[in-house]
Amino acid sequence: MELSQRDRLSKLVEELTTSGQPQLNQDKMKEIKKICKVSNDCIDHLYHLVMSQLNQEHSEIRLSAFQITSELFSRSHHFRMLLVDNFQEFLELTVETDSDQPLPPPKEVARKLRSLAIQTVQSWQASYGTAYKKLALGYHFLKQVKKVDFQDAEARTVAERRREEERQRRMERIYKERVETACRDMEELQQEIEATLTEMESCMKLLFPEFSLTDIQTVNSSPSHSVPANHCPSGDEQPCCSRDLRDDRTGEGSREEKTNCGTGKKGGEDEGMTEEKGGKRNDGEEEKGKGKKERREVEGEEEEEEEDEEGSIEEEEEETFDEDLFIRNSGLISHSYSLDLNLNPGFHLKETEDNEVVVSTVIDLHRLITTKHLPAVQGWVQVFTKAGAEQQLLRRALDLKRSLEAALQKHKELHIDYKTRVRRVMKATDGEDDDEDDDFDEVPEKEGYEPHIPEHLRADYGLDPSPSTSAAPVTRKPTAKRPAALPPQPLSSSSSRCLKRLTEEEQDPTCAAATLRVLRQTLPLHAESSSSTDPSSSQSSSDQKPVDAPVVPFGLDLYYWGQEQPNAGKIIKAASQHQFWVPCEVEEEVENEQLLAESRSRYISFPGSFTPVTHHCRAPLGNGKLCQRQDRLKCPFHGRIVPRDQDGRPFRQEDRLREEQEERRRREEQPDWRDAELMRDIEAATGENLSSDRVRKGKKKKFPNLSDLKLNANTSRSRLEKKVFNKSTVRRVAQVMSKADRRKHEKFSNQFNYALN
Amino acid sequence: MLGFLTARQAGLDDPLRLRRAESTRRVLSLKLNPDRDVDRIHGNGINTIDIEAIEGRYMLSGGADGVIVIYDLENYSGKPQYTCKAVCTVGRSSQNVHKFSVETVQWYPYDTGMFVSSSFDKTMKVWDTETLKPAEVFEFEGNVYSHHLSPIARKHSLIAVGTKNPKIQLCDLKSGSRIHVLQGHRAEVLSVRWSPRYEHILATASADSKVKVWDVRRASGSLFTLDQHSGDKSKASSEAVNTAHNGRVNGLCFTGDGLYLLTTGTDDRMRLWNSATGENTLVNYGKVCNDSRKRLQFTVSRGCSPEFVFVPCGSSIAVYALHTGELVTMLRGHYNNVDCCEFHPDYQELYSGGKDCNILAWVPVLRASDVEEELHCANTGAAGQSSVNPAFQDAWSDED
Repeated sequence: MELSQRDRLSKLVEELTTSGQPQLNQDKMKEIKKICKVSNDCIDHLYHLVMSQLNQEHSEIRLSAFQITSELFSRSHHFRMLLVDNFQEFLELTVETDSDQPLPPPKEVARKLRSLAIQTVQSWQASYGTAYKKLALGYHFLKQVKKVDFQDAEARTVAERRREEERQRRMERIYKERVETACRDMEELQQEIEATLTEMESCMKLLFPEFSLTDIQTVNSSPSHSVPANHCPSGDEQPCCSRDLRDDRTGEGSREEKTNCGTGKKGGEDEGMTEEKGGKRNDGEEEKGKGKKERREVEGEEEEEEEDEEGSIEEEEEETFDEDLFIRNSGLISHSYSLDLNLNPGFHLKETEDNEVVVSTVIDLHRLITTKHLPAVQGWVQVFTKAGAEQQLLRRALDLKRSLEAALQKHKELHIDYKTRVRRVMKATDGEDDDEDDDFDEVPEKEGYEPHIPEHLRADYGLDPSPSTSAAPVTRKPTAKRPAALPPQPLSSSSSRCLKRLTEEEQDPTCAAATLRVLRQTLPLHAESSSSTDPSSSQSSSDQKPVDAPVVPFGLDLYYWGQEQPNAGKIIKAASQHQFWVPCEVEEEVENEQLLAESRSRYISFPGSFTPVTHHCRAPLGNGKLCQRQDRLKCPFHGRIVPRDQDGRPFRQEDRLREEQEERRRREEQPDWRDAELMRDIEAATGENLSSDRVRKGKKKKFPNLSDLKLNANTSRSRLEKKVFNKSTVRRVAQVMSKADRRKHEKFSNQFNYALN
Repeated sequence: MLGFLTARQAGLDDPLRLRRAESTRRVLSLKLNPDRDVDRIHGNGINTIDIEAIEGRYMLSGGADGVIVIYDLENYSGKPQYTCKAVCTVGRSSQNVHKFSVETVQWYPYDTGMFVSSSFDKTMKVWDTETLKPAEVFEFEGNVYSHHLSPIARKHSLIAVGTKNPKIQLCDLKSGSRIHVLQGHRAEVLSVRWSPRYEHILATASADSKVKVWDVRRASGSLFTLDQHSGDKSKASSEAVNTAHNGRVNGLCFTGDGLYLLTTGTDDRMRLWNSATGENTLVNYGKVCNDSRKRLQFTVSRGCSPEFVFVPCGSSIAVYALHTGELVTMLRGHYNNVDCCEFHPDYQELYSGGKDCNILAWVPVLRASDVEEELHCANTGAAGQSSVNPAFQDAWSDED
């Protein structure tokens, strides 16, 4: 046999077996057959090749090798002789006769290989069994010892049908049970649901007389309703406003409090709350007037901001302010006026003192429907449709579902502005709040500290401009020292609540407010550095100084402050404790200067204060962006941080030069034209080796067509194993344990009753 | 061959020489023969087989399911194709059947009217072949691993029995009672063998890795214990003194003339001993795979000029030259572990039984007809050959 044929055969077999395909490539197979036809030597060689491939621990390789085998088995007597001679091993490798050597993964291919091998052995037995004794023996071995079912193909259908029928029957039984239970449940729950629905409807009627459950379908189609606002009878002077929204923002989205312009707004809001909580109204009485004054100042600004933000409720907002103005100007709270509101998307309902009970009932009902009734009804519908139950049942369930959904839809249409009862009641219902006011835009949570906030947006962020107002009560003092232009603001109950919440948040280190507080305390005010628009800011910063004074713990030096210590620095030596036996010359008291000095002094360590990094690296990145890392001095990727323009070029000349130099050096190391992919393309085109392999990173998979066995191993278990059975981990654990043992040994080794365990 | 024949004709040679040469040739050409089949009766592994010595016609086999079968090996049909019929069977339906796995079966050496079987149900039964009923039942305290009747004994009819008990029992067929106990082993006795040369000499192999040779007339103890280091103290560690193997010894076999004794152990070794002196002959057979926890039945050829050993080795049977330790060939045909093999001295055939329920007959393949012969019947023979065996034809299709 020629060497070339040999090589060709090896190559073909390897290609065929590592193709990973379920079927062999016919052209290559033909070539193999052509070579094998020539002589028995070729068949010998092929047999060994195939057997070695069959021994590979990969079922795809084995399957392909097996297919080659079966192709040749039917053709060559010599091959049959060889294979039958080693039939035991062949069966072990393909039919899994030895339970100690299971077929390798992947599992599906292994299963396929096994069934294919069994079928093939059967067909071989049919055609060659009489001539090749060992083949017959192997067949009988499979049949009698391994109990392989050769009639699988026919038998399976019968068995499968039976199994299928059985399964169907079982499923039917299960479904029947389920339908029965669902029926029973429905009987029980139907009344309850209907009661809930009625209640909901009547609640809604109470809230919104012209809005009944029945006209829900029409609500959607009707463009807009002009409805008299329901607040008129309640006597509340404020229509629905964005108070909740703002509250929400101050709670959640607050990052920045800078100017004092928002204070007025706060005051304005506070007023509304004051009315709600009448009990606490008295204490805020006098501040209220001042708050109103303030508000007038900020009015314009606020309007602007509202326009920026919400187009939908803008109108009402303006009305709100008009009305506020009216109240402020006239000074009386009218009970008689009414307002027509254009509600663009639908209705807006505000929770007030009066309808609070109703609204809370609505909330409860809504929750009941969403969490309990609707899922139950949906479950029934599912069960009925799956089990193919009677139409009547299904229709009833569907009706229920429809009415429930209608109720929900209507509830949604109402757009009830709920009070923030979340904190008042319990934290667990926090999520509900979000559900209710879904007509508000979600403001994305801001990350990090943003020093530059445009003036007109500041209130937008729902921020208290002065750092002191929202700070902890301890720091309230500076607020009082505000310039007279800003009189002490109303300390109404709601604002105190707001404050309290803020303080709470500040205590929580995970909250943004905490960071903010640190920033506020450490950073000089932004307003100070920028062109100071308001004089108060610089003043306030000077006011802040006493706060910055170090607080020291109480000590002896403070205790004796300004006093002469009687016996400081004196050491009384008692040389002997004996009663009467005293050595002759003993100086009983020793003056120690050092000690004396120490008692009057104090060490204060001054590590400096933390300043957060505000600059970015801003080195140009490959994708055209600038590096956003905020390191203090040195970026781990781009070296020292230098000032750069908006294109990322350094301002200073020497920095620019240095970077250019580095770039040049890098280019020399890896010239541009040696781009790896380009090189590969060139190589492919010219066929010359330009040593592009040198730059290829990582190990290339040897047989890319085979499915990767290691890939399957990436399970949570394997990942855990990697961690737990990590060498260093094991060593560490062993170390700790041996240390514990040793300690025990050292302690108790000479006590025999401990020594034994 | 022709030289042998002429020498025989001229009376130059001993007739034995020709016989030896021919039988050696036959043994060397042992193959799994498609013409010879043995009925598949056993539904479970076959632990033991025995061929009677008188006619060489009947073969006993004992299975792991307690079934005992007697086969007729003789082919009277006149065709090369022959399936050894099961003459009679002690099947599961029989009331006298062994409850558990039959470990040893043996014909009575002088008559086929009787055979003895022992089993893991702690009994040894002496059967009447005609009625297939036990004539005598011996009961023991432990599982019976092995028993043996002396093939040449004229003065006694003792059956040596190795059981889970380290004491070797001697049962007398004449009286039907256990008459003697040989003490000396410390673990279960896996195999017992009478010497084919001296009727009172008995070899026993035990799980304590010792092999002892006894003279049953001597009451005081064994004659000697086989020592793998032949008494060389320097090579043996203290606990390995007087051991034949470094593991359980589960196979024993005398050569046909009784001069040598072969042992196999779970240390995957086979050793050849001088049975007269107990000296290790240090023949190296290489690795003989052996992980059986029970007795391993292996055999030695008879009447060949270098003798051969047939020893089960995993799922195949290894054939070694006895005195050189050279591996002659591996007979591969079983699909599971082989437990026993037996040599038919008259026809130079080998029968083997294994866990795959098969008893395979290894029959010498006669040399293919010579060239002249083929030329002589070229017209008829070749065509006939091809028509007889179409399966042996290559089937290369033209389009490939």
